[in-house]
Amino acid sequence: MSEVIGKMFGWFNSRLPIVNTFERHLSKHPVPSKVNFWYLFGALASVVLIIQIVSGIWLIMPYSNTEEEAFSSIEYIMRDVDYGWVVRYMHTTGASMFFAVVYLHMFRGLLYGSYQKPKELVWIFGCAIYLAMMAEGFLGYVLPYGQMSYWGAQVIISLFGAIPYIGESLELWVRGDYYISGITVSRFFALHVVALPLVLIALVFLHLVALHEVGAGNPEGVDIEEFLDDDGVPLDSVPFFPYKVLNALVGIGVFMTVFAIIMFFFPEGGGYFIEMANFEEANPLVTPEHIAPVWYYSPYYAMLRAVPDKLGGLIVMGSAVAILFVVPWLDKSKAASIRYKGTYSKLAITLFAISFLTLGYLGTVGVTEVRKTMSVICTFIYFSFFLLMPIYTKYEKTKEVPKRL
Amino acid sequence: MSKINISIADFILMKLIMLGILVFCVNNLFAAEGGPCKDYGDCDKFKYSLNDMESLQRGASTFLNYCYGCHSLQYSRWGRVAKDLQIPEDIFFENLVFDKSIKPGDLMTGSMPKEESAKWFGVAPPDLTLVSRVRGDDWIYSYLRTYYEDASKQYGVNNLVYPGTAMPNVLMALQGNQKLVCKEVPMLAKNGGEKRDDFGNTITKEKCGILEVEESSGELSKDEFDKLIYDLTNFLVYVGEPAKAERERIGWYVIFYFLIFTALSSLLYREYQKDYH
Repeated sequence: MSEVIGKMFGWFNSRLPIVNTFERHLSKHPVPSKVNFWYLFGALASVVLIIQIVSGIWLIMPYSNTEEEAFSSIEYIMRDVDYGWVVRYMHTTGASMFFAVVYLHMFRGLLYGSYQKPKELVWIFGCAIYLAMMAEGFLGYVLPYGQMSYWGAQVIISLFGAIPYIGESLELWVRGDYYISGITVSRFFALHVVALPLVLIALVFLHLVALHEVGAGNPEGVDIEEFLDDDGVPLDSVPFFPYKVLNALVGIGVFMTVFAIIMFFFPEGGGYFIEMANFEEANPLVTPEHIAPVWYYSPYYAMLRAVPDKLGGLIVMGSAVAILFVVPWLDKSKAASIRYKGTYSKLAITLFAISFLTLGYLGTVGVTEVRKTMSVICTFIYFSFFLLMPIYTKYEKTKEVPKRL
Repeated sequence: MSKINISIADFILMKLIMLGILVFCVNNLFAAEGGPCKDYGDCDKFKYSLNDMESLQRGASTFLNYCYGCHSLQYSRWGRVAKDLQIPEDIFFENLVFDKSIKPGDLMTGSMPKEESAKWFGVAPPDLTLVSRVRGDDWIYSYLRTYYEDASKQYGVNNLVYPGTAMPNVLMALQGNQKLVCKEVPMLAKNGGEKRDDFGNTITKEKCGILEVEESSGELSKDEFDKLIYDLTNFLVYVGEPAKAERERIGWYVIFYFLIFTALSSLLYREYQKDYH
């Protein structure tokens, strides 16, 4: 019996690079032997991606993408579909956790210089994934067709209107109607469940292929490829299986515990994961008292509101994401890791983190004078972190990076 | 080229200063927000108990007798409520369902035509299936207990939590006539005790806007009425998310599973780590 299976496997393997691919990218793939918890978020992001795809497929089955039924079909899922609430909360919690994990993953990149040569492409694909995720999240938030779905979409789509000349026609083209309606919902549904997931999966594939080509980084910023053993395997590396897999498994266990706590006990996340106003069906005639995006967009929303001019706000918001793509060329430091960078870099990244978190908070609350000033200051710090990077990374004293891990 | 060297102590100091600035800003930022319970100030806290079947049954009964005439629960089904609240279907349909053509699988779509009711009340009474999720349970619990006499309004009542509400105080016969009154209240000293003058008499000051029910104008005492509203709010929390009790029950098992998963995988990881450390 086993002979037959062996033969069959051989038949496939001589026509399809099964063993090679498996060994190269999974079982024997060398990863740095010493990393810390920051290096788990990539694996966690792929876990959440799978959760989102699987729960998403099951949500499509009972969901109705029409103006009349979108909202009530969500309640149908929550009440009448067996364990529909499990699937739905998995998806809503997953959305927030996806962003949480990806933000931490990105911050890891900034901390340890994971964008430095030769990892520029890995970083750029990552930024593209983030951008696609933002679009995916926005489209998905419109689908339950609650008040915040409607008015959030109203605010965001109207931003297109600020673009000179083509703005208004672009706005109309995106919406498919003169106001948000069933037409908008059904096209957003198509984009959310087919178009963007395809883009996301393709980008994740490229992100990983590029990563495996140049090798994963480590918190020391050591290039492990410099010292190889006789087989050409880096001395400071361990094979992906079982070491990295087991390491990731522990991380996944902790992460899923947190995930379960949120999903089963705080699915609304205090109104930050599912906004209270979204339990009310979309009503074009009633504007909610306070329109706020979900927490993962709030830093950019705060930037948008910090600029008095609509087009200016749009440009600032767009640049805030766009600037991430060029980080590999802004960092002139000889050291990759923050551990060996100078004081200015440390100060800059601390201020950056604080201002980003503050912007995140400011984006969820109403505007007052103090808050507006704060948003302006924090937006300024956010951009300074990137724009001044070529200067402070070049002229600061770095510590010498060790040769080995 | 001059390079500034900053010691670790300076660096920590700098971080502390930044933290100070942050705390200051955050304090200022949080201060400006008004409460959701409007003129009432902070909402009264409500703690749901979805495993208390008797409370939920009483709440359902109050809702169907006093509220369902105007307010639908359009996403909820009759049979599901009976089943979840452990009310035998025959008793449920005999006593709480007034339209005998209704079947257990039907949605609780209300008994009042929406267009007509908009004419009668100015606005159509909203569907209440999700009110506990839109407004929050604290809000409902406070709202239903803060009606007061106000002759300037259409129905002679107003509400502290929802000033200018379009709903009359349907439960007035039970609660009695609640008024806003002014009262002499003891002044509090800095230590939290009552302020007294040299002769040991309590020093009082006049405070207005206190809710007080006219004596024996309602069928229920204050405690009984609060309990009635508690049960009603509890029922609305249930209707807002019928799976909530089950969700919280299952949640413990899932968390327990992942804790075991984490423990075992970390033991295995440690064992394998010995290979290269």
